[in-house]
Amino acid sequence: MLKFESVSRVYDDGTKAIDNVSLHIRSGEICVLLGPSGAGKSTLMNMANGVVEPSSGVVKLGDLILNKKNRTTIQRRIGMIHQQLHLVPRLSVLHNVLAGLLPDVELWRSIIKSFSVEEQRRACELLDEVGMEEKHLFRRASDLSGGQQQRVAIARAFISNPEVVLADEPVASLDPAMSRSVLDSLKTAAKHHGATVICTLHQLDYALEFADRIIALRKGEIFFDGHPDDLDSETQNKLYQLEQSQNTTIEQVAA
Amino acid sequence: MKLDIEQTKPWQQWELHHAVTPKSLIILFILFIAFSFSAHNTELDKAAVETSKAVLSIVGIGDSQVLDGALRFTSKAFPMQISERTAISRLDDFDRNALPLFSYLEMGEEREYDALTEIWTIEKSEYLVEPLGYLWKVTVKMWETIEMGFWGTVICIMISLPLSVLASRNYTPHRFVYSFVRGWLSLHRAMPELIVALILVLMYGFGPIAGVLALAIHTSGVLGKFFADEIENAPPGPQLALKSSGASAFKVLRYAVFPHVYPAWIAYVQYIFERNIRTATILGIVGAGGIGMELKGRWDVFDYSHVATILLGIFITVVLLEYFSQKLRKHAL
Repeated sequence: MLKFESVSRVYDDGTKAIDNVSLHIRSGEICVLLGPSGAGKSTLMNMANGVVEPSSGVVKLGDLILNKKNRTTIQRRIGMIHQQLHLVPRLSVLHNVLAGLLPDVELWRSIIKSFSVEEQRRACELLDEVGMEEKHLFRRASDLSGGQQQRVAIARAFISNPEVVLADEPVASLDPAMSRSVLDSLKTAAKHHGATVICTLHQLDYALEFADRIIALRKGEIFFDGHPDDLDSETQNKLYQLEQSQNTTIEQVAA
Repeated sequence: MKLDIEQTKPWQQWELHHAVTPKSLIILFILFIAFSFSAHNTELDKAAVETSKAVLSIVGIGDSQVLDGALRFTSKAFPMQISERTAISRLDDFDRNALPLFSYLEMGEEREYDALTEIWTIEKSEYLVEPLGYLWKVTVKMWETIEMGFWGTVICIMISLPLSVLASRNYTPHRFVYSFVRGWLSLHRAMPELIVALILVLMYGFGPIAGVLALAIHTSGVLGKFFADEIENAPPGPQLALKSSGASAFKVLRYAVFPHVYPAWIAYVQYIFERNIRTATILGIVGAGGIGMELKGRWDVFDYSHVATILLGIFITVVLLEYFSQKLRKHAL
């Protein structure tokens, strides 16, 4: 489905974010990218949907190679859920979800925000699926809680019937209970629509529950790739250590 | 925690901050001298003297030119001119049996001065008196002024909306277009309404067209810059999110930028509208329509009681405007 073929990315200041990574993500898989901050998770994500171009190597969706020409075609087939929510704060929940359809909407309809009944029904269905209620429909996105906003973002990512959904730290700003239920919503929606999900997380616990496949990154290289059950205790410990080291650095900074 | 940086001085000897230094005193002194010259240039000293004289004159000490001027205006300004009095010989379609509502006829004298023979002739004549005639005339003129402000604002938005997109760094098609449009907007801003109106009066003749266009040209420079700055400062996250789903730049602008900038834009437009009406009241002075034309005409023939009515009209309009726009602002945000 989604293929990375010996992809590297070097930023202008010389840091190697991704170093010669080859990955093949199969259709319908729920992949979790694990790793501490700066391991290159977000860069890998942004390369998959064409926001960041690889310095070398090729990204393919199906048979299409991601390049300038195909970029919009590929972006239409990919749904994206972002780290800092990235809903439009002053737009209603309904229109935030419908905004996911924008690439396929005629210009004049987009100007007056005219969406067909079917499109709106589909948005409602998705919102219902991720656990939103009718009373939220015309609220501004900024009036919702963080968890609700993330649910709306999930609905938006799925509305264009994407083959792949990329979720960049979907639960980074949520508390544990909320995180679990948001991840559950994401998983149900993905299974229901038969979409492939690539999700970055940095909590190993969630990854073990949620993923079909775990890909752990460290310093731009793949460090583990496989089913959660295949994680032996040694690797798990190493992952825990990575997670711990990250937490301690954050605490040090805070202190 | 101590870092291993070699200190050249112990901390007791570090240079500290001084609030007053000889340097700051010298700068203050130089500024004082410079401002004194400038104030003398603008006759501020004279203003102080004359104002003091006026105050003394009120209490009864000495004469004051300032007070005389003020008295000359106020003594003639009140009572204000409310009614309108016209000699019936000057009315084209006068019909004795169908007088306008509330009006009546009155006998009076008409004085005429013949400059050649230097003789005053006094003729008895009948006058048509409309009790609220002049007030009505001022109201109509004032309404025209408000309409000028309104259409000036509408045309201003029509000019500045597309230009602002071209003049925002993140949506301009090319850097060259960006600089060009920014320059163009500053040019609009740099042309004061009165001067634009003067030129437009030459082109379109006397009347509100020149006024409306002058307002639109000047304020589109202001509004365009404000709009563009708002677009540039919109949060990039939502824009990136929509862009990465493959939406075109225009749609991103519509869905991720416009909802964000819309409240600020409304506030700017409101400000421009208020300002346009205030400016429209004086544009008539150069013949560009509105109440200013009436004001200028009355002022030039020393009809200060008429002027007083006009000033009252302007004052009431501005106050009402402020009141309603305040209400609207609360409603919109």
